[in-house]
Amino acid sequence: MPVETEEGRRFATALAHRVGDDPTAAHIAAAMVAIWHDIDAALTPIVGKGGVAALYKRTLYLAGTAHPWLVVRRQDLSSGVDLVALKAVLSQQASAVAAAGSKDFLQTFHMLLASLIGPSLTERLLRSVWARPPSGPPAQDPSP
Amino acid sequence: MSTKVNINRLATGVPGLDAVLGGGLPEYSFNLIAGPPGSGKTTLAHQMMFALASAARPALYFTVLGEPPLKMLRYQQQFEFFDSELINHSIRFVNLSDDAMAGDLDQVLQRIIDEVAEHNPALVFVDSFRSAVFANETEAGPHRSLQHFVQQLGILMTSWQATTFLIGEYFTETAANPVFTVADGLIWLRQSVQRNSMVRKLEIMKMRGQATLPGLHTFRIGTAGIQVFAPAGKAATADARPMAPPEGARLKMGVPGLDDMLGGGLPRGYSMLVAGPSGSGKSILAAAFLAEGARCGETGVVAAFEQHPNRSRNRTLIDLIESGRLGLVDSRASDLSIDEILLQILNEVHRLKASRVVIDSLSCFELALAPTFRDDFRESLLRLVTALAGQGITVLMTSELEDRYIDLRFSPYGAAFLTDAIIVQRYIEVDSRLLRVLAVVKVRASAHSNQLREYSIDAEGIRIGAMLPDQEGLLGGRPTRKRADDRAVATPDASAG
Repeated sequence: MPVETEEGRRFATALAHRVGDDPTAAHIAAAMVAIWHDIDAALTPIVGKGGVAALYKRTLYLAGTAHPWLVVRRQDLSSGVDLVALKAVLSQQASAVAAAGSKDFLQTFHMLLASLIGPSLTERLLRSVWARPPSGPPAQDPSP
Repeated sequence: MSTKVNINRLATGVPGLDAVLGGGLPEYSFNLIAGPPGSGKTTLAHQMMFALASAARPALYFTVLGEPPLKMLRYQQQFEFFDSELINHSIRFVNLSDDAMAGDLDQVLQRIIDEVAEHNPALVFVDSFRSAVFANETEAGPHRSLQHFVQQLGILMTSWQATTFLIGEYFTETAANPVFTVADGLIWLRQSVQRNSMVRKLEIMKMRGQATLPGLHTFRIGTAGIQVFAPAGKAATADARPMAPPEGARLKMGVPGLDDMLGGGLPRGYSMLVAGPSGSGKSILAAAFLAEGARCGETGVVAAFEQHPNRSRNRTLIDLIESGRLGLVDSRASDLSIDEILLQILNEVHRLKASRVVIDSLSCFELALAPTFRDDFRESLLRLVTALAGQGITVLMTSELEDRYIDLRFSPYGAAFLTDAIIVQRYIEVDSRLLRVLAVVKVRASAHSNQLREYSIDAEGIRIGAMLPDQEGLLGGRPTRKRADDRAVATPDASAG
C-alpha cells in the first residue's frame, strides 16, 4: 500500500470530484480514464508515448500486488496504454473495491514519478491534472 | 549614426564561458554543441537554458534521440541551476522521439515548426542528433538528408528570431560534416583521459561575428553546473586591484639581512624563485614573506599542494589564515589544470585584495596537475606568473632542487628564466656538520649582493649569518679550508692567523 502524500491525496480528491455523488464502479472507471487522459496530455509531450506507457505499466505492476484484479493480462513490451481494459476491469468490481484500487493506482503512479524526477517537478508537471475543473468532459490536450 | 546591425550578445550563465566565447553568445545564432557521450553537452544546454529563459524569452527543448526525457529530468535536477518552477512556463520540453524513431526527418522538422509557431520561443534546443542514426535512410545518403534538415532548421530559426542549439553526438571532427558549415557556432566538448585522471575540455571551433579565445579550455562539472576556466589573464577583472604597495616599492622579506642582499627588498610585482634541496627552509622563507606582508598591513594568498597539509603547515600561516589575512588555495585533487588553479588563486586574491602570493611548491604543484597538462608545465607557469604580475602581485615560488654538486640548477622546470629574482639554498659540509648557505642569484634590473652566506634555522625562523671566506668550493658541497698562503695573498693582514 502506498504511503499517502499531500500530492497523492490530491489525486484522491480529483478522483472523488470526477466521480461525483454516485460512486458506482462504472463512474469510477470513467473518472479514472478521464484522469489518465489528463496525465497523458501533461506528460506525453515531455516524455513521449513510450515513456508514459512505461510508467503506466510499472504502476499497474506495483498497484497490482495489493489489487491483483488490476492486472488483467501480461503486459507486453510493445503495447501502449490500454484504457479500454482498465475501464472494463474497474467496471467489473464492486464499487468499494474499484474505489480503493483506483486510489492506490493514482497514488502509486504519483510516487513512482516522484521517485524518478522528484516531488517538486512531479507537482509542476501534473499541476494541470488536478487544476482541472471537476465537471466537464475530459480534455485531450495540455493546457497551454 | 551607425546603420549596421547590432548583434546582441547573451550572457550564457556558465561561469567563464562568456569570456571564451568572446563576450557572450550572439543572439539568433544557430549553434552546434558536439562531443562524445558523457562530455556534458546536455548539461551545458540546460545550464544556458535555465539562465537565459524568462517569460519574455521562453525556451523550447526538443528531445529527439538521446537519453530518455525522464532520465534527463531526473539527472539534470541534481544541478543547482535546475528550477522546476520554470518548466511549463518559460521552459517547455517537447518529446519528438516517436517521430524520430520513424527516421523521417521531414516529419521531425514539421513537428518543430508546429511547436515553434505555437509557443514562439526565443531559445530552441534540439537534443540530440546522431548522424549515424539517419544513415541509409535516404538514397542520397545520410549527410544530404541531415544537411537538408539542419539547413532548413537554421533558416527557420534565424527568421523566427530564435537562438538555437543543436546537440550532436558522435560527430567526428575530421569528417567534412556539412552541418558544421551551416552552423554559426560550434562548441566542441572533449574528455581527455590520461592514466587515472580525466580532464574536460571545451573548444569554440567557430563563432561567427566575434573573436573567441582560441584553443582548448578546461571545465569542470560540479553541483552548480559547468564552470569553464578561461585562460589566465582574460578572466581577470580590472576592478579588483590588490591593495599593493605603490609601483616601484620594494617588499620586505621578513628575514633579517635578506632585504639588504636583495638590494633593498623584492621589487613589487616581481616573481621570485626560492630553490633549494629538501629541508633547506624554503617554506619557512615563504612563510616569513607572508608574515612580513601581514605585519605591513598587506594580505596574501598561499597555494599549497602538499599531501599532508596539517602535518607540515607552519603555525604562523595557520594564525594568518584564521585571522583572515591569508587566503589558502589548498587543492589536492589530482586532475587540476593551471587555469583552474589560477582562477582559484585569483579569486582569493580578489577576495582579500592580496598583494603577495606564495606557491609552495612547484614540485607538488606539478604533481597536482592532471598528467595531460604536465607537458605544458613551463608554458602554463609562464601564463600564471604573467597573469599575477599583471595584477601587480608579488609572487614567491619554491622549487625543490636536487642537490647535485656538479652543476648549479635552479629549477627542473626551466622556471628560472621566467622569474625576476632567484634565491638559491644549498647544503655544505664543514667540519663534519651540514651547514646551509644561500645566495641571491638574480634580481632583475637591480643591484644585489653576490655573497654566499651561511644561515641557520631556529624557532624564530631563518637567521642569515656571515660569509665563509676561509672556505672555498662551497658550491661543490664539500668546501675546503683555504691554504694559509692563499689567504695571505687575498688578505695580507690576516697572515698571522
